Amino acid sequence: MISFLLRRLATMVLTLLVISVLVFAIIQLPEGDYLSTYIADLEAQGESVDPAKIEALRQRYGLDRPLYEQYGVWVLGLAQGDLGYSFEHDKPVSDVVGDRLWLSLILNLITVMFVYVVSFPIGVYSATNKYSIADYGFTLVGFLGIAIPNFLLALIMLYFANVWFGTSIGGLMDPKFIDEPWSWAKLLSVLEHLWVPVLVIGLSGTAGMIRRLRANLLDELNKQYVVTGRAKGLPEGRLLRKYPLRMALNPFISDIGSLLPEIVSGSVIVSAVMSLPTTGPMLLDSLQSQDMYLAGSFLMFLALLTVVGMFLSDVLLAVLDPRIRLEGGVRR
Amino acid sequence: MRGTGTDQTGARTEGARGARCPASALVRCLSDIARFAVSVRPTLLALLLVHLVAAPLHAGEPPLLAADVAAGKLPAMAARLPQEPLVVDMAEPGRHGGSIETLLGRAKDIRLMVVYGYSRLVGYDEKLQIRPDILRDIEVKEGREFTLHLRRGHKWSDGQPFTAEDFRYFFEDMAFNQEFAKQGPFAELMVDGKLPTFAVIDEVTVRIAWEQPNPTFLAQLASAQPLYIYRPAHYLKQFHAKHAAPDELGKLVKKAKAKDWVGLHYKKDHQYQNDNPEMPTLDPWINTTESPADRYVLVRNPYFHRVDRNGLQLPYLDRVVVNIANGKLIPAKVGAGEADLQARNLDFKNYTILKQGEKRNGYRVHLWKSGKGSQLALYPNLNVKDPVWRVLVRDARFRRALSLAIDRHEINEVVFFGLGIESNNTVLPGTPLFKPEYQSQWARFDLEAANRLLDEAGLSVRDSEGIRLLPDGRPLEIIVETAGEDLNETDILELIRDSWYAAGIKLFTKPFRRETLRSRASAGETLMSTWFGLENGIATADASPVELAPTGDDQLNWPLWGLHTMTNGKGGEPVEDAAAKRLVELYAAWAHAPGTAEREGIWAQMLKINAEQVFTIGLICGVPQPVVASNRLHNVPSQGLFNWNPGAYFGLYRPDTFWLEGE
Amino acid sequence: MTATMPHFVSKAPFAPEAVEAMSAAQERYYLASQWRLMWWKFKRHRLAVIAGVLLLASYGSTLVTELVAPYALGSRNTDFIFAPPQPIRLFHEGRLQTPFVYPLRYKLDMETLKRDYSEDRSRPQRLRFFCSGDKYRFWGLVEGRFHVICPPEGGTLFLFGTDRLGRDVLSRLVYGARISLTVGLIGIAVSFLLGISIGGMAGYFGGWIDACVQRVTEILRSLPVLPIWMALSAALPVTWSPVLVYFGITIILGLLDWPGLARAVRSKLLALREEDYALAARLMGARPSHIIRKHLLPNFMSHLIASATLSIPGMILGETALSFLGLGLRPPITSWGVMLAEAQNIEAVALYPWLLWPMVPVIVIVLAFNFFGDGLRDAADPYH
Repeated sequence: MISFLLRRLATMVLTLLVISVLVFAIIQLPEGDYLSTYIADLEAQGESVDPAKIEALRQRYGLDRPLYEQYGVWVLGLAQGDLGYSFEHDKPVSDVVGDRLWLSLILNLITVMFVYVVSFPIGVYSATNKYSIADYGFTLVGFLGIAIPNFLLALIMLYFANVWFGTSIGGLMDPKFIDEPWSWAKLLSVLEHLWVPVLVIGLSGTAGMIRRLRANLLDELNKQYVVTGRAKGLPEGRLLRKYPLRMALNPFISDIGSLLPEIVSGSVIVSAVMSLPTTGPMLLDSLQSQDMYLAGSFLMFLALLTVVGMFLSDVLLAVLDPRIRLEGGVRR
Repeated sequence: MRGTGTDQTGARTEGARGARCPASALVRCLSDIARFAVSVRPTLLALLLVHLVAAPLHAGEPPLLAADVAAGKLPAMAARLPQEPLVVDMAEPGRHGGSIETLLGRAKDIRLMVVYGYSRLVGYDEKLQIRPDILRDIEVKEGREFTLHLRRGHKWSDGQPFTAEDFRYFFEDMAFNQEFAKQGPFAELMVDGKLPTFAVIDEVTVRIAWEQPNPTFLAQLASAQPLYIYRPAHYLKQFHAKHAAPDELGKLVKKAKAKDWVGLHYKKDHQYQNDNPEMPTLDPWINTTESPADRYVLVRNPYFHRVDRNGLQLPYLDRVVVNIANGKLIPAKVGAGEADLQARNLDFKNYTILKQGEKRNGYRVHLWKSGKGSQLALYPNLNVKDPVWRVLVRDARFRRALSLAIDRHEINEVVFFGLGIESNNTVLPGTPLFKPEYQSQWARFDLEAANRLLDEAGLSVRDSEGIRLLPDGRPLEIIVETAGEDLNETDILELIRDSWYAAGIKLFTKPFRRETLRSRASAGETLMSTWFGLENGIATADASPVELAPTGDDQLNWPLWGLHTMTNGKGGEPVEDAAAKRLVELYAAWAHAPGTAEREGIWAQMLKINAEQVFTIGLICGVPQPVVASNRLHNVPSQGLFNWNPGAYFGLYRPDTFWLEGE
Repeated sequence: MTATMPHFVSKAPFAPEAVEAMSAAQERYYLASQWRLMWWKFKRHRLAVIAGVLLLASYGSTLVTELVAPYALGSRNTDFIFAPPQPIRLFHEGRLQTPFVYPLRYKLDMETLKRDYSEDRSRPQRLRFFCSGDKYRFWGLVEGRFHVICPPEGGTLFLFGTDRLGRDVLSRLVYGARISLTVGLIGIAVSFLLGISIGGMAGYFGGWIDACVQRVTEILRSLPVLPIWMALSAALPVTWSPVLVYFGITIILGLLDWPGLARAVRSKLLALREEDYALAARLMGARPSHIIRKHLLPNFMSHLIASATLSIPGMILGETALSFLGLGLRPPITSWGVMLAEAQNIEAVALYPWLLWPMVPVIVIVLAFNFFGDGLRDAADPYH
């Protein structure tokens, strides 16, 4: 088990390294660099810029260096915990992000919890009561969750939360609490705002999860050992708990790997629509303005989230299923 | 822009005191522009800046500061104000206190608070005349020598004196400094490539002089994004190698992850960006929040130099709170009553929803007017690479036909409820340089004339669908490249597409990112693109006609010709069109014109050529801009001009005079 | 079993063929191919059949879009901007009529600048069917005027209301289907091909192939999809025509979707290859590709189909998300994503809710795909 863990950890680091190359390459893909978007942005506003100053800035930011050099500087910095420099804010990235990383982490964790807590009972119920009215009902609601584009759903829910409950539009709390120290009122305000993004981000993940759990459980329920168990007179509940459910849990856990990127990605766009103080809005801004170190460090953070999530899912899976832990003893 | 100051006599002019007004017609213009309005409240609008010799005796401390004053932490108001504060007259003098909230789309937009605050050495008043503001007075000699008189006793927001030293620091330690020059010269200070000379006369007087006249200097100082020729020297010296101890400076450079001390200096010197709370300022409100943030709190500047006629120190409002929210959410938030003063990120199409929240949320929606020459204009690229197209685009008949084949009335009705003005891309009606023919020439909807002109231009052959054919047999398909960030843009193009189709022209729209748009135009890939019209549609003769002639590589209709002029012939291509060539000559003549009258003549010629030649195809100007203000907020005019420069958005109406009732 | 049965012995000679002989129905069943069996089973799943018919109809409609839509794509009516939906009516003053609509009366509320419409109940306007209406070019080639349904003579027919240029929302939806429905198909084809072959290899062979594929999928999947979409679509050459951009985007969507499928295939194979029948096949000398195709693949076809049904709508939604971000498809191209992106504002939610109509076909198509997939899944399940 320990060697499995070590191997897994080593590959994780390697994975992150490859991701860093990919991330850097992707950020560089669109033509132009930060300064060209900066100029266009200023001109759209009516502000002027001096071309000579731009050239000086390009040198100051090291944008005139070859790409591999820029990459090297960034990755070496990352390894030492230095997130690089944000051109847009003219500050080190670490000063720019502030609490955003933590808030993102918390938002994503809460959403994952929401997905699990909601989808597990519904998935089991749907599978054991196949084609019942409730099964169709849940399926329908779940699909509505998948089908409505989440950015639009976010807007609709924000609007009605405001009209019905008077919740301020967007953000993670009422603006007046932003600078205040933590208090009950502030916590309440956060909870009042938090449910909308969690629901919006989590809904499609939940629907997918219910669907997969139901499908897996159905596969297991049709297996012969279940028939045998039932024939031997095992009570239905015990039969379910003892074998098929555990088997069906296997992909349920391995799905963390697919759930996390989905949630992280979904939270980016939903946070942007809802102006949450998470990494999302800033990431989109930095991608659009080609503020490459800021964007790169954010992407690396999100990638880290999912890589660690997958690592955990693999470890859990190994604990649950010895076949995987022992690598199945590959025979040909 | 001010009309005086370049009189040949060279005598001290009175322009600074507002004696002459070449732009007196602007009063009329403003009320014309706001033709939506019926009842103007001139008393409220007319906000006169008057000089008084001494501060009034009767004075009340702003309650926010009273405790600090009582505790001796802060000098009393009389000691905080300059000896001669700027006395502002307004319709409704108000009371101190309160805090308003407003919304901005991005953290770095916090710089707009410097624009709204509009505290400048000299600034535009509501008649768009330049008056002293931070300066007590300014003297202009031969249009090239400027003597600036500061207010004695004026202080930075941290209580340090604001003196000639702050100007000296900028000129001698920054503008003339070799280390800074390496980072790019101060081009905005140059006239014919030469920097001015600078002299300190005494503690409150400095003189700046160029060899040649600098007709745009005052406008630069008064601009929304001003030319700052002073710096808080006492603060910045700690980052300057000439003044700071090397090892201390080294530590600071390292801490800020800067490359060298110049880099550090640039990083701290964010007078306009407004994101360095440590930096002292002369603005009405001081930003106290480190950037980036989701909520910025700006607090009153206890040393601000303006007072009302009752002797109350301005600004009235203690705090301005700026919340950062997604631009798309801002209309919804404003409609839900989450802003006390808002115009940015509101569009005319939000009017209905804003209006519906009016009663419930206790605000009013005003409609101000945009000062742009055209809300959207088409730019045929005269430097397009394709030889067949190039010949065609350079044919004035073709451009005129395109303009004639646009139904501006329909665009106005569909997109702006008919509240805009159908017009060429030119100065707005009611402004002093305006003539009706600039607005209407080749701008009526006349398909017959358009078809005739196109036939004359050699495009009479049509295909089976009725689309005209180019001389080489290709169909006449115009691809209009657009930044496409605004739905209005694609909508308007959709409308144009139909009427052009009737003239046998096919229009395709292709959206690009803004920066791509520009580089494609310069490379001659673009045939036609869209952008705003004239940035300054309310220009006076003293404003630079730079936008009317090929002068820069950022001009989408002739980027290469513009580059040629800009680089004095080193880059780009020489201007090949007779009319455009004439525009370049006129532009040069303007810069060296001796007086306002001559400049007026030059402007008239340039506007006329532009209207005749249809170098850009303007569509609608004077479009309404919703401005939302809380019912409790006083002195926000119900009609106004919402313009970047001149105007500084709210700045023209001095937000430091806005005040809150109740509480 | 209290009653005793009478003793019986058949006198007929024993003929083994007679016992083994099958009825015609039995014969048909036992000799039917796997696909035929699936079809029979599928037919029993009524909801799936309905969904299948619906999908077929939707995709079919994209072939004759121009005929189905009451208005042509570019057609706009600037006298009716933001007009609400006009219901089709059958009763006028209590009497049954052929289908008709009431004309709209327009009034501008000068106070809020809201366009108010009311129905003029006095003048019913009869709809026209199989009629001549707006001019269009069928598939951009042949000019025509024939429509299945047309607005009344001199009247309007805005079943789903109109947008800010007075364009009929229903017609735009019908035209948008052509783009939106096919985005998923092309994308899923790319994704499926890659997912099954790569995931299959990894799962069956294990070892270093598995390790490599695992890493690659892990890397691809831990990159947040959205920024990659953004970057990739921003990197599409600017000179591409809208059609090329559309294909580029579908392929990007597909290229980023396969790792999920590959992972699912792999994990299933990993377990299945240990089954006895796989071992048996291996012992009998079957080649790996044969084992995967004949023995393993049918086993988790159900899982694959479940994933695929979830993936197609995912791509349709992906297209909307890209449009929303201003990447991908943009007006003047009409797709459901573009329409939804245009409805992404407070006005649509609060004042003109009919602009949110594109949500309905998206939902219906997603549901249809899921029920359809459900039916297929059950039909393909060999244990069922």
